Amino acid sequence: MSRVNVARALRAIRRSIWVFHLNSGSCNACDIEVLDALTPYFDVERFGAKLVASPRHADVILFTGPVTRESLPKVVRAVRAMPRPRLILALGSCAVGGGIWWDTYSTIGGFKKLEEILRESGIEVDRVVYVPGCPVRPEAIIYGLLLLLGAVEQKARGSEVAVPEG
Amino acid sequence: MSVAKILEIAARVGRVTRRYPYQPPLLTPEFRGSIRVDPSRCWGCGACVRICPPNALTLKPSGKMVALEYFVGRCIFCGMCAEVCPAGAIEVTKEFELSATSIEDLRTRLVHRLTRCSVCGAPTWTEAELRAVVKASPITEEYAAICPEHRRERFAKAVALRLGAGE
Ligand code: SF4
Ligand code: SF4
Ligand code: SF4
Repeated sequence: MSRVNVARALRAIRRSIWVFHLNSGSCNACDIEVLDALTPYFDVERFGAKLVASPRHADVILFTGPVTRESLPKVVRAVRAMPRPRLILALGSCAVGGGIWWDTYSTIGGFKKLEEILRESGIEVDRVVYVPGCPVRPEAIIYGLLLLLGAVEQKARGSEVAVPEG
Repeated sequence: MSVAKILEIAARVGRVTRRYPYQPPLLTPEFRGSIRVDPSRCWGCGACVRICPPNALTLKPSGKMVALEYFVGRCIFCGMCAEVCPAGAIEVTKEFELSATSIEDLRTRLVHRLTRCSVCGAPTWTEAELRAVVKASPITEEYAAICPEHRRERFAKAVALRLGAGE
């Protein structure tokens, strides 16, 4: 399996990020928010992001949905078609952790499970940014994209606190 | 539409693009972001865990502790947990910049200490819940600390004694 210098690739695409929108069975709300982010109102093109029609042209996949069983083979094919480095923005609580469909029979439960399946098929994903939200706000998508490019600091920190004594 | 007309409209409307992240985000009063659990108020009762539709809140026992885990990566931001929480410990914030490069950064845990049944030593409730129950109802801490099974046993014994005494 080949190694890719992700940092170098990120520097190269910094001002011209071609994104491909991949819906793996989302409820469509996250997809509408992706459109919102692309409209002149939120205008993700300020950062050079441009929607492309084929995963073969894409730098980043905007991944929505919990991966339904029906969409799984197509999703695997689309990710396989993407050139390295494969950068993925998992948008919405469905894509991040399965969301409201976390235990239904017809979905595999989000990107984490898909990543395992991809790894088994020999498809490497170089970097993933998880963007929670149901649906994700356009600003949250912009923030996630900037985090992927390393332009903003990550705010989310896992934490463990104990309840104070009596 | 002629170019002159477009320019006229553009001049009238001006720039509409939001400059986020260089400008504050467009948050409406109705917007619900991630939740925050107040560690000093939460009882660890699990009402929020029962109501949470996608199971983003879970109670995970481990030994003498039980952790209330909030996995924001699965939250659907419905606010139902805040509505049912008997202690008013959950606040729905406007936080939406939740992105993370690792899924583990999306989990926050609040660790509760468990009390033990004073008869058998089995784990019963959390310390915070015991305190809240004793404060709110006319029972003693000694009674509240007993597990349901031994409480039943004690009750049955008391009833038997009373019946025996009545004869
Ligand atoms: S995260 Fe919510 S809004 Fe987005 S696709 Fe899933 S259910 Fe729909
Ligand atoms: S007190 Fe509120 S936050 Fe704590 S477990 Fe109970 S319902 Fe959840
Ligand atoms: S807001 Fe809704 S989905 Fe999120 S933790 Fe609370 S009950 Fe669960």
